[in-house]
Amino acid sequence: MNLSRPDRVGRLDALAASYVLGTLPGRARARLAHIARTDTVVRANIRAWEQRLAPFAESAPPINPSPQVWKRIALRLGLPATRHLDRGPWWTRVGFWRGFAVTSFVAALGLALALTQVAVAPTADPIVVVLAAQDQAPALVATMERDSRTITVKVVGGAPVPQDRSLELWMLPQGAAPRSLGVVPSTGVGRVTLPALPDVALVNVPALAVSLEQRGGSPTGAPQGPVLYTGRVERLY
Amino acid sequence: MTTPDRSARVAALLSRVAMGDQGAFADFYELTSSHLYGVAVRILKDAAAAEEILQEAYVNVWHHAGSYEVAKSQPMTWLTSIVRNRCLDQLRRREVDTVTLTSDDDDAPEYDVPDDDMTPAEMLLAGAEARSVRDCVDALDAAPKQAIALAFYQGLSHSELATHMRQPLGTVKSWVRRGLERLKDCLDRAGMGR
Repeated sequence: MNLSRPDRVGRLDALAASYVLGTLPGRARARLAHIARTDTVVRANIRAWEQRLAPFAESAPPINPSPQVWKRIALRLGLPATRHLDRGPWWTRVGFWRGFAVTSFVAALGLALALTQVAVAPTADPIVVVLAAQDQAPALVATMERDSRTITVKVVGGAPVPQDRSLELWMLPQGAAPRSLGVVPSTGVGRVTLPALPDVALVNVPALAVSLEQRGGSPTGAPQGPVLYTGRVERLY
Repeated sequence: MTTPDRSARVAALLSRVAMGDQGAFADFYELTSSHLYGVAVRILKDAAAAEEILQEAYVNVWHHAGSYEVAKSQPMTWLTSIVRNRCLDQLRRREVDTVTLTSDDDDAPEYDVPDDDMTPAEMLLAGAEARSVRDCVDALDAAPKQAIALAFYQGLSHSELATHMRQPLGTVKSWVRRGLERLKDCLDRAGMGR
């Protein structure tokens, strides 16, 4: 049966509709799915119906699956399973801080590389924070001179930032909520200002983080989006 | 979170998952799994089977996130379609098997369906964030609207719809067919169809 023929348009549309709705009976369903694999017209019809009915799928109230599901997925893919055992904001999760040890190690590896890419006055004993996703190459490097409240942030890698999003830099104080340092550019070099000179402002801040926020940064003063990169505050004494 | 917000975040995470970013994959799971599980468990009415489908879907996303084409559909549409299709495949295959092997009542699926505060028809309307979509749903007569909603959210077949709605099979079939046609005409007119 050639469903793509122009005189069968109506028939194909009805089939695609009942396929997507789910009412197409078993054998017909399997047959249509089989045809769709090679026939682009059939596939386009199905996709159009998926788009039409998509808003409706969004409205069904969400239900949390059992934590076992994530554990089994992680097990099958050989990923660390700890992260989703504790719910709550990411900076309060045990897994986040546990994962941080690994990130810092990688960040340290990236440090030498990053230092060669950032113009740093060699005499000033700067504070350098290399921000990276877990087990990934550095994405941003933040450098601070001891006698200035300015943080220079340079983008050296990481995933592209969508047009309608911004990267926001945070201090992660021990035992307290993240504190925003402001929005940093998605490419090139930017500057943000610390609330005090680095040795004062960062006294209880072992790490910085970058989250993905709505354009212009989180409106609430707390991170809303996912954390993309973290980095330990390294003091080069 | 509004739908466009989630959509943008899911798309951003997916692009990082495609590069093998484990943290992004975990965030992605957290952001999408309760939605997808809700869809699956309503259709399959079986928690274990729904979890199984979810597991397969995420394993596939990890391996094939790169094949998602941003230009062609919203990421949540893409994901939801994958999960719904797998659920429906299983459900409809089960029916074929049942017919072939003659059914045994012990095999009746467990009904792990959540008690929703909304009826399927109300969900259908709630899904219509955009005014034009809402108008199109509103324009449907009550019976076709209910039949479409039950099929869409709970995976009921034509004959199950007929039983549920206490109507002849042919009546239910034409409700669904005409209802979908009207919905399509209306959505396409409003420019929401694609």
